[in-house]
Amino acid sequence: MSTLTSNGLIEKKLPGDLAMWFFILAELTVFAIFFIGFAVTEQLNPEMFREGKNQLHPTAGLLNTIALITSSFFVALSLHAMHANKGKKAAILIGIAQVVAVIYIVIKLWEYSSLFELGLDIETNSFFTLYFMITFFHLMHVLLGMVILTYIAIRASKNEYNVDNISGFEAGASYWHMVDMLWIILFPLIYVI
Amino acid sequence: MSKETIQIPQGSIKRTVISWLLLIALSVMSIYMGLFIQNKSLFIISVLFIVFLKGQQIIDIFMELYHAPKKWRLLFLSYVVLLPLIICLVYLF
Repeated sequence: MSTLTSNGLIEKKLPGDLAMWFFILAELTVFAIFFIGFAVTEQLNPEMFREGKNQLHPTAGLLNTIALITSSFFVALSLHAMHANKGKKAAILIGIAQVVAVIYIVIKLWEYSSLFELGLDIETNSFFTLYFMITFFHLMHVLLGMVILTYIAIRASKNEYNVDNISGFEAGASYWHMVDMLWIILFPLIYVI
Repeated sequence: MSKETIQIPQGSIKRTVISWLLLIALSVMSIYMGLFIQNKSLFIISVLFIVFLKGQQIIDIFMELYHAPKKWRLLFLSYVVLLPLIICLVYLF
């Protein structure tokens, strides 16, 4: 996200807060370790992972991907609205983003319940330990992201952000895009490959 | 850090919409790619390349790091280059 000046030009600076970007980098690093660990463990237990992946629902994973991408899209649109000093419009767009994100949560919880009904849980084997750990950790980030989005939406609706004071909004939006980006790596790794 | 001033890209909302549609198309493509690519190694490389493409869209368009100082943009782009590359190497070797 870029800072829009009063004459309509963009200052080439890092959007949002520097602290948020370091936090995002830390989160990305942790998940990178999880993802690489998953791939390594799969190579050591190919048959177990093949059987485990056959128990998953790739269509549910695809729907979750589309939900998070679309949610991120509305958050991106909300920032365009903030650039135009339209706080209430930005808040509405974030609200839509959150409604779409709820689709992700519902599908994820349905996935979990369907696996539990099959007697599969975090203690079943290495595949399901990693599956539940990684996806649940990501789900927690989704929930935190929704709290952050709610906070910035409330502030935006009260016109507490403007063109010269938008870094908090940008930071919140950036966190949400990070959550989306993690899923676009997680989805093919766990559901597709 | 010195600040550079650049013109607002024309149709930035339009670009966001195009990016969204591209992300969805790439997501659908990756899940059905297995129907068209029988070679396991080529399939893995293709799927992970799509991860890079999608990550680049999120970083440059949604996060708007395209307008950020170069070192930050390259840092985040390196994530969606190196991580899929490492995963690819784990699977292929």
